[in-house]
Amino acid sequence: MSATSASAVNAAAPGRRRDLRSTLGVVIVAGFALVALVGPLLVGDPTAYVGAPLEPPSAAHWFGTTGQGQDVLAQTVVGARTTLLVGAIVGFLVVLVGAVVGATAAFFGGVVDAVLSLVVNVSLVMPGLPLIVVIAAFLPPGPVTMAVVLALTGWPWHARVVRAQVASLRRRDFVAAATVSGEPAWRIVVVELLPNLAALLGSSFIGATLYAVGAQVGLEFLGLGDLNAVTWGTNLYWATNDSALLTGSWWTFVPTGLGVATLGFGLALLGFALDERANPRLAASTGAGPGPQPTPVRRRALG
Amino acid sequence: MKRIVVILALLAACADPQGETPAGTLTVLQEQQAAWVRNFNPLLTTGGARWPTTSGIYEPLLVYNRAAGESVPWLATSWTWTEPALRLRFDVRPGVTWSDGAPLTAADVAFTFDVLRRFPALDGAGAWSFLAGVTAVDEHTVEFAFSRPYSPGLSLVGGQAIVPKHVWEGVADPVSFTNPDPVGTGPFTEIRRFDAQVWELGKNPRYWQPGVPKVDTLRFPAVASNDQALLALVRGEVDWAGSFVPAIERTYVDRDPAHFNYWFPAVGDTVFLYPQNATPPLDDARVREAISLAIDRKRLVRVAMHDYAKPSHPTALSDGYRAWRRDDLAPDGGWVRYDPAAAAAGLDAAGWTLGPDGRRRNAAGDALSLPILCPAGWSDWVRAAQIIARDLDAIGVDARVEGLDFSAWFDRVSRGDFALALGWSVSGPTPYAFYRSLLGSDTVKPVGTAAATNWHRHGSPAADALLAAFEATVDPAEQRRLSDALQAAFVEEAPAIPLFPTPAWGEFSTQRFEGFPDAETPYATLSPNAVPDVLLVLTQLHPRDDLQAGSR
Amino acid sequence: MSGLLRRMGLYALAAWFALTLNFLLPRMMPGDPAQALFARFQGRLEPAALEALTVTLGVSTAPLGEQYLTYLGQLVRGELGISLVYFPSPVSEVIAGGLGWTMFLAGGALVVAFTLGSVLGAVAAWRRGGWLDTVAPPLLSFLGAFPYFWLAMAAVWLLGFQLGWFPVRHAYGPEVQPGFTLAFAASAVRHALLPGATMVLASLGGWVLTMRNAMMGVLDDEPIRFAQARGLPPARVFFHYGVRNALLPSLTSFGMAFGFVLSGALLTEIVFAYPGQGYLLLQAVRGQDYPLLQGLFLTITLAVLAANALVDVVVVLLDPRTRG
Repeated sequence: MSATSASAVNAAAPGRRRDLRSTLGVVIVAGFALVALVGPLLVGDPTAYVGAPLEPPSAAHWFGTTGQGQDVLAQTVVGARTTLLVGAIVGFLVVLVGAVVGATAAFFGGVVDAVLSLVVNVSLVMPGLPLIVVIAAFLPPGPVTMAVVLALTGWPWHARVVRAQVASLRRRDFVAAATVSGEPAWRIVVVELLPNLAALLGSSFIGATLYAVGAQVGLEFLGLGDLNAVTWGTNLYWATNDSALLTGSWWTFVPTGLGVATLGFGLALLGFALDERANPRLAASTGAGPGPQPTPVRRRALG
Repeated sequence: MKRIVVILALLAACADPQGETPAGTLTVLQEQQAAWVRNFNPLLTTGGARWPTTSGIYEPLLVYNRAAGESVPWLATSWTWTEPALRLRFDVRPGVTWSDGAPLTAADVAFTFDVLRRFPALDGAGAWSFLAGVTAVDEHTVEFAFSRPYSPGLSLVGGQAIVPKHVWEGVADPVSFTNPDPVGTGPFTEIRRFDAQVWELGKNPRYWQPGVPKVDTLRFPAVASNDQALLALVRGEVDWAGSFVPAIERTYVDRDPAHFNYWFPAVGDTVFLYPQNATPPLDDARVREAISLAIDRKRLVRVAMHDYAKPSHPTALSDGYRAWRRDDLAPDGGWVRYDPAAAAAGLDAAGWTLGPDGRRRNAAGDALSLPILCPAGWSDWVRAAQIIARDLDAIGVDARVEGLDFSAWFDRVSRGDFALALGWSVSGPTPYAFYRSLLGSDTVKPVGTAAATNWHRHGSPAADALLAAFEATVDPAEQRRLSDALQAAFVEEAPAIPLFPTPAWGEFSTQRFEGFPDAETPYATLSPNAVPDVLLVLTQLHPRDDLQAGSR
Repeated sequence: MSGLLRRMGLYALAAWFALTLNFLLPRMMPGDPAQALFARFQGRLEPAALEALTVTLGVSTAPLGEQYLTYLGQLVRGELGISLVYFPSPVSEVIAGGLGWTMFLAGGALVVAFTLGSVLGAVAAWRRGGWLDTVAPPLLSFLGAFPYFWLAMAAVWLLGFQLGWFPVRHAYGPEVQPGFTLAFAASAVRHALLPGATMVLASLGGWVLTMRNAMMGVLDDEPIRFAQARGLPPARVFFHYGVRNALLPSLTSFGMAFGFVLSGALLTEIVFAYPGQGYLLLQAVRGQDYPLLQGLFLTITLAVLAANALVDVVVVLLDPRTRG
């Protein structure tokens, strides 16, 4: 990994453009976070019946009303809060479990590594969505079930990525030096390794949150979430229940969809920025899988 | 690479357009399935037999027309009680042949019931809980002997689909038999085509009614969701459907007002809010009545049912029981009217007073908290539950909606483990079965034991006497008198809170076919979901007269 | 070669794990299939009938270990049991039709997305900083961030319903019979266009980026830059050195992506009433149809494992570095 090639890759996205992407990402995500935090205080009760059903957007109701006469704007804003909250919690859990498993496997090597890697690889080939649907359908609906189900199915990917990174870091000189000089294992992990993992963990968190939000919305759309809750997914569920498209009531459907897409886009941009900071050589990708993940160029690193 | 693209494009271009339906083929949407599975077993009512197996391929002895409130002789020409409520004799129609040419005889009827006796898994309605024996007296007469007086047995026996003995006596296990090539007496028996996506049922060339059916083929496309069903409807690809359609005027009728029609009569099962009578404070009728008075049913049906339903009658009887229903009982709506003030007064009288925090408490200081159980996936019920929760909250009762997965919900509801729960009710040609499930002591099981009906566990000695008398009499006037008394008992005791009768969903298009029943010509229920009434409709449908000559 | 054998061993292990999980999962969930059947018919079953049905459905009260061995035995004989939702049709019959269509749609969409994405990504990396490089990734990321079924429903409504350009449901038209005819193939392709296109659009971004970043990495390698400086024709550098090497990491993802695409196809099938496994899975879940659920889960998992194994073999064949 020579200095020239690293800078060549950086030159791929000229400084100004890269900054623009990061800034845009931060602005979008921060904007949604703000809406989620403060918004519900400003709009009315999303479950109250405020007008005639399926009214188009007007001065009285900026986003119109739903099939029951509820305010779409209030539902979108309040829905953002629950969806983001569950998304962030799942993201955190997934990265926590994945990082612990991955780091442990890579750091201790040998049998520990073999066993943990086996578990991770087997979990990775299990088809995700069917498993999620099956589990979510049988447990009582609610945010806790959602979080548990998504965390259980999302962690293996991150475990693999963290393991790869820790494995490569472990062979580096400064770790060898620390070991030789008698530093205890835990200190090496916390003081030497973790700071180097920071950017990777950050981008993993972003990716996991993105996955969690998408999967949540999908499950709730199928009616497997808590129908009493007001979330983006259940908003879409009720909209389809009232045949939003066939009645031409686009306003019950579009704001939530745009919200999810924009949030996802913002998270993806943030993810790119963090990826490139973590390792300029690592590629960033919004894969067909759970969130944007760096795909190491050298296949052997996945070993 | 370029060549592949060109070939693919050619393939796509020369594909046929979304097919034209041949004349005489009527497209029906009744089941929502992603892919068809070949099963025409009419005896296993819980199995996945294709509609209209029990009432279209096979037929019963008589058809109860709930729109007209009378029984139509079908495979039987007449019936009599040779011993009132104990011996029933049917005269089997002569001249009826099975679709393979063999004649229908009383032996087929006796055989059918014998199969139910030998395989209890097929006896879903429980015919052998009151039958003692079935005998074919001669070629066209069959006699049923009851083990106890049971006049409602007439409709149970009369509604059973009859299967041919000469085919089914060779079937080793009728429970798991899918009957892929059915032999029936019904108007449509020939399977013309059966794929995963579409299947077609052709008319019976040997049907016993002359000149009928005038429709040549029934076609069934597999449609997986309500949205897809609606798409098909509005594009005019479907002639007859039984789907729930939101805002139907706007989404469906307006596309072709001259041909697109619907009819949603309130003849379906009444939806109830069941209070658990076995657990205080719901053992107090005043509390139950107060809850009922607090619910704004008009808003409930408007929001949860898109205004397709109407608030329930105080006797909880739907329009299907119009002939039996007492309109003199509580003309102002009685205990099902919307009167929050009366509700509040009722709760006060029962000892639940409004505290300074707006919550109702009893003398001991406990708050009145009544969670509402609901199946999580049934969106219209969930919405109804949400409205009820808000209405109860307004009078100081803490009512949360608990949405559970269907099995979990049913498990708790049947064991009685709930405070309030939404649920369906049973129906039949007379109010007997209905009130037995609401008031009959013999249907009461202890809380914790699964029960098929009477989840609210209310037993009324007064009603028991009336129900027993009903079982023993076949005199219509006497039955009428007993039914009046049952309705009074129901209103008096208020065991369960009726919300609204479920409408029978039915849509039809007259672009190609005519003869459908509707609000102006209610000769039968329109909805294809109403079996066996569909037999009455299937034998009336015909291609449009002005389209008869030549093309569609 | 030993590496490949180890991978195959891993897949065998994963297959066994899938079988066992498949067995345990429905049994760990609350509820009971006979009760579910009873409930579906709104309790209109007399207790005697319910009891008889329970026996017929084979709801076993034997100890778990015994049930597991019976299950394995049945699997070896290819018996997947009898479906509850579609009682009394055998599970294999119910699944048979669906699997083929899901593979066709999901596999086709994946291949198209992979190919198109790799081409776009390679070109974007080659013309670094050009308009394709700047516009495509963010635009495709944005499209990919939409909830999947949202794009599908918008497509159905706009292109299928309003404009009528495409069929809106099913895998083939009602006027053709399934068979090896040109008309049937044409109808199948035509019906797969819209659902396939939405799946491709939703996943394109990922492939473009993977390929683009891999290409950029490869093109920056010293030997490549040296060869270019020496005057090797650009086309040769692009195809022979660039694409061929950059394709490898994408191929690894391809195998895993197959699993995800199969899952994603579930939502597409529901929206488009496409007769695949997706909707069957949902019905099985809602009806607590354990045998059908097990059968579906099994076929999906084994298909994913097979795809991964196949890809591994292909990669080994293509990349000499991974042998030995």
